[in-house]
Amino acid sequence: MWIKHKSRYLLLAMAVTTSVVNANALTQESLQAFFEQWSPALCVLKFTQAAIDPRTGEEQQQQGSAVAVVVSPDGLLMSNGYLQRENVTTSNFRVVVLRDGEETEYKATLLEKPKDVNISFLRIKSDAPLNLPSVRFTRNSRLGLGEEVAILGVMSETMDFQPTLSVARVSAILESPRITYCLDTPLKLGSVTGPVINDKGEVVGVTGFELSSTEGGDLYTRSGVPMVFQTELFIPYVDSPPGESAEEEEGGEEAWLGVFTQPLKEDYAEYWGIDPPGGLIVSTVMPGSSAEAAGFQPGDIIRVFDGQPIQATLDRDVLDFTQMIRGKQPGAAVTVELLRGGAPLTLQVTLGVRPRSAQEAGEYTDETLGLVVREITQDLRTVLNLGEDVQGVIVRRVISGSPAHVARMQPGVIVMSIDNTPVTSVEDYEKGSDAIRAAKPAEVSIFARAGAATGFFRVRPRW
Amino acid sequence: MKAESRRTDKPTPKGGRLGLLLFLPLLLAGCATLSGNVQQQVLDAKKTMAPTLVHIRPVKEVFVQGQRQEVLAVGSGFIISADGFVVTNEHVAGESSQVICVLSDNSELEARVVGTDPDTDIAVLKLEAGRDLPYARFGRSASLESGELVLAMGSPHGLTRSASLGIISVTDRYLGDSGGITAPYNNWIQTDAAINRGNSGGPLVNLRGEVIGINTLALLGAENVGFAIPADIAREVIDAIIANGRVQRSWLGLSFQEMRAKTDDPSVQGAVIADVAPVSSAHEAGVKPGDILVGVNGQPVNAHYEEDLPAVRKRIADLPVGEKVTLQLLRGDTAIEIEAVTEEKMASKGMQAEFLEWGFTVAEMTPELARRAQVPPGEGLLVSGCIPGGLASASGLAAGDIILKMDEETIRSLSQFDELYNKAIDEKTKLIMLFVKRGAVTRFVLINSEGMGEAPVDKEMLEYVD
Repeated sequence: MWIKHKSRYLLLAMAVTTSVVNANALTQESLQAFFEQWSPALCVLKFTQAAIDPRTGEEQQQQGSAVAVVVSPDGLLMSNGYLQRENVTTSNFRVVVLRDGEETEYKATLLEKPKDVNISFLRIKSDAPLNLPSVRFTRNSRLGLGEEVAILGVMSETMDFQPTLSVARVSAILESPRITYCLDTPLKLGSVTGPVINDKGEVVGVTGFELSSTEGGDLYTRSGVPMVFQTELFIPYVDSPPGESAEEEEGGEEAWLGVFTQPLKEDYAEYWGIDPPGGLIVSTVMPGSSAEAAGFQPGDIIRVFDGQPIQATLDRDVLDFTQMIRGKQPGAAVTVELLRGGAPLTLQVTLGVRPRSAQEAGEYTDETLGLVVREITQDLRTVLNLGEDVQGVIVRRVISGSPAHVARMQPGVIVMSIDNTPVTSVEDYEKGSDAIRAAKPAEVSIFARAGAATGFFRVRPRW
Repeated sequence: MKAESRRTDKPTPKGGRLGLLLFLPLLLAGCATLSGNVQQQVLDAKKTMAPTLVHIRPVKEVFVQGQRQEVLAVGSGFIISADGFVVTNEHVAGESSQVICVLSDNSELEARVVGTDPDTDIAVLKLEAGRDLPYARFGRSASLESGELVLAMGSPHGLTRSASLGIISVTDRYLGDSGGITAPYNNWIQTDAAINRGNSGGPLVNLRGEVIGINTLALLGAENVGFAIPADIAREVIDAIIANGRVQRSWLGLSFQEMRAKTDDPSVQGAVIADVAPVSSAHEAGVKPGDILVGVNGQPVNAHYEEDLPAVRKRIADLPVGEKVTLQLLRGDTAIEIEAVTEEKMASKGMQAEFLEWGFTVAEMTPELARRAQVPPGEGLLVSGCIPGGLASASGLAAGDIILKMDEETIRSLSQFDELYNKAIDEKTKLIMLFVKRGAVTRFVLINSEGMGEAPVDKEMLEYVD
């Protein structure tokens, strides 16, 4: 009995194998052909992501990259839906397109995110009309259990962003709440939103993950399972792209008020005798900001901003306020209604320009002493809790074995003068460094601050 | 029968015994080099010091994660007077609620802490024995030479009546601020006489049976690299504590670096001023980092190497408090004189207190901390810990926060905060607002004494509770 069954399966298996061979099986040759055909539609998306810790209100910025797929020749892109999730602001999008061995970088804007699929759409900004290689999706995108698919992506872990190819199998097909194809291999970061290609060379979807409930997804999400977003889920958005995301910054300079705020929760409102709750408590006024100039004080409660009522009662509402300010133009005059000591007060404020972040800061590599120094930007000043009296450049890196290394200088040290020349900017440092190269002294005396204390380093350059 | 005998006939135990036998003559040979005169000196020194040794068992107060706890510790010490003054380390007897001393005759006595000095890690205790006690005599540490034989005596790991022998490796080791240990006013005697945990506070003894140092530190992960506070500076501190209960020092707000940080030229004498505290008399008088201090009240100063720095700092500290001092400085190539008035140096260690109802602990600010945190001197209190899940922690307070205000009152001292806190507890005030500084950012933290029930419940936890 058992043997009989086995033989029947064997026959069946043989039959299937033959038929696959007759079609385009995922052989090395076919994989290479698909790679040639579709990998030109891949590009690399670079961005700045800022997450605000809802407990501390502190913003942490980092540079990120993801694979993006060109889905229409005029510059419509699809990328990882994690670009748009709760408590995270992604901005400063740049797209690197590789054509004929040459890299071109474009700016891009984020479009509004589809509600039903964790994919982000972007549009490349270009004055000249674009005609980029793009992916053509196949509408009928059924996959079978155990079916092998090819996945395209880029090498993001090595940061050289070469297109890559991998193969996975459909390990489960879930029927509810909607048809979901799960994959049997973990996805590398550079393969999320990578085109999924079947054995006929058709692009039947892209890879992805669902958002977890803490990231703004449904409670019963299957987050964490690598899956295929089949074309049916997103084709409507490719055909008629969503509008520009309201969260998108206009590039260049952003408006800045210069306050840290907390939501006016119920018990906070009760403490100050304010009814109803809702509003933003000014907790910190940044030195040198337009808020300081307008006379904001810690403890002020913002109730109306530029005609819009502020009814924040949750930590995440603080983000909406940040977005609201970013949506304005630097230099715009804004009326703010607030409560100070329980009494209403109206302040006029001219919005300033958001100071450069540490990522955009000027940097200089001093090869003579072996230091990489950076401008002390406002955000760094906040993170390191440096007073305005601390002027200089911050050592970002000490090159191993260099004179600075031998003199035991360390990253994080703030250089305040070189050989009696005060340093307050990267330009100052550069000038000082040039002077040293011209004079070739046996020793350079660097006055620096480490932590709360200052001191001298004696560096001996090698000429 | 046969099988059993074979098993017992295994060769290894015999071999082990053989190994031991081979080892013993070696040890005896090692001892033989100390025979005769030197052996007698070691024995005499040990016999002189042994009756004065004190095994110290303090009940120490520690603050962990927002809670005050009492832990048992062990240390060493020695009696320095017939009427019962005992010397040990500050890190042994400081911050303790009770100090039990076990004397060499095994009698147990509770000691009173006369005073402590965290800057030199010295504490003085007083015993009321009702009889004259045997006491140790100090030797001079200034005339020590490296290579001299010394004994470390005390209670390593609580093992009383222990002695170990070694030599002075280095007489003036400078440890700077390494590993969180700050000893601004002294260098250290480095010895290879075994010093372990529990030796702290015990005497380092020369072959004349005199105390030449107080065993205090051992380098972790190293073999027999121990450090003792030199007797000369210890005696000054002990005398000050016995006389006043504490050590008063002057402060100008200056930090120094050795001349080598600027030049190798030995003819340039002085000490480099590396830092001037922003709120200090030296700053107000116009002293600048980079100036070279060449004299204090006309007396020359020289710190060519870092080992010379403690003496320079001590010179400033030993100036009378609140009096004018003339500093001779070199600014560039110009000799200048600056007058400044000394202030009293504030404690380098703040008091801590526990606030049970809110579940957190608070420490006093030190000048160093105030400067680092960018808080005006004399303001604020440091949150040293919060009990996880306690009211303070649930309200959003965290260790490292600095409390600037409670309701509308600026916080300036622990006693003032304690008073406000107790009032709030007694009157069962529902809502108390704290204004705190966290890094560069300030925020409001509302303590809602009735709000504990509203703390967010972890969804995951609910699923596991049946």
